[in-house]
Amino acid sequence: MNRWLVRCDSVYRRLARTFPHEFRAVCGDGLEQLGADVIPMVWREQGLRGVVRCFTDLGLRLPLEYLEVWAGKFKELNMTDDLFEGTWKANNEGSKWDPNYTPEQACLRFEATDEGYLLVAYGIKDGQAVAERPTPIITDGRRRPVVDLNGRPIQGVPPGAMSFGSQPNSHTIEAGAEADGQVLGKGTYKVSEDGRTLTVTTEGMGLKGPFKVEAVFDRVVPDPYVPQS
Amino acid sequence: MPRKKPEAFLPLKSNWFHILVSLAGCEQHGYGIMQEVLERSDGKVRLWPATLYGSLKRLIQDGLIAESGARPAPEFDDARRRYYKLTPLGHRVLDLESERLRDLVRILEGKRRQEARS
Repeated sequence: MNRWLVRCDSVYRRLARTFPHEFRAVCGDGLEQLGADVIPMVWREQGLRGVVRCFTDLGLRLPLEYLEVWAGKFKELNMTDDLFEGTWKANNEGSKWDPNYTPEQACLRFEATDEGYLLVAYGIKDGQAVAERPTPIITDGRRRPVVDLNGRPIQGVPPGAMSFGSQPNSHTIEAGAEADGQVLGKGTYKVSEDGRTLTVTTEGMGLKGPFKVEAVFDRVVPDPYVPQS
Repeated sequence: MPRKKPEAFLPLKSNWFHILVSLAGCEQHGYGIMQEVLERSDGKVRLWPATLYGSLKRLIQDGLIAESGARPAPEFDDARRRYYKLTPLGHRVLDLESERLRDLVRILEGKRRQEARS
């Protein structure tokens, strides 16, 4: 490859890396690699015209991807007061836990993110403090690969597993994961009209077999994670 | 979660249709899809990288394709690449779109026959 093509490849890769995180989370570095494969090919076939078209394609797509991300953020900015954000503590008397998954104490924390929520679950089970992996819930109705917060695959999650999330109304969130058309787990999170109670219905397949839980949580006021003045 | 019905995707965007046809019957990586579309269309349709990956992203988000965990035999595998496959929804949408196009061709042929007779 001549020096000019090497330079083109390097510029293409740099530009491809400026795509929004949301794009790179789904496509990985596929765009950079494909660009690196295509540039020498179109140079051979079409010369400068082909290379220019390759860069034009990139240049046109980049603002479109950012527009899509910003549109999502704008939508979020126009949302009314968030009913889910904060910390919720399980009311064990009002909950129907699965016998295999009954905690002594359980808490959920919803943190608002650019795209939805980060759900953190923790508590005490069999006398031990336990915490689940933080789960992003993106409520735009689309499917995304199940990856950790750094975009890497998660051990034990089947390849090709996709997460989904939606918010049919301001009081309800539906979220879960599926692989090969089979639902691995799904849950509904519903906040009461007065905003004080959260009812969580989840079912799926756990390490100890299938489970079904209907748990009731009370909002923790004041939120222990927000510094009080 | 309320899932979009297969009919709601029709008519399919041309790029999407080409990608889904490439993934019918076999898993492919981005480069493989691009090459297959180029060959199949006698060089007339080239899915440029950003357009291709933009479409792949939307197809994944809409549940029509998924990243495949399976890898081909080591001698054919390129470890750098991500492979994609059709989901059951993708299969259904591809079938419906093919049927729609077949109907259109049938209508056109009927009109041509009528024209030839008159």
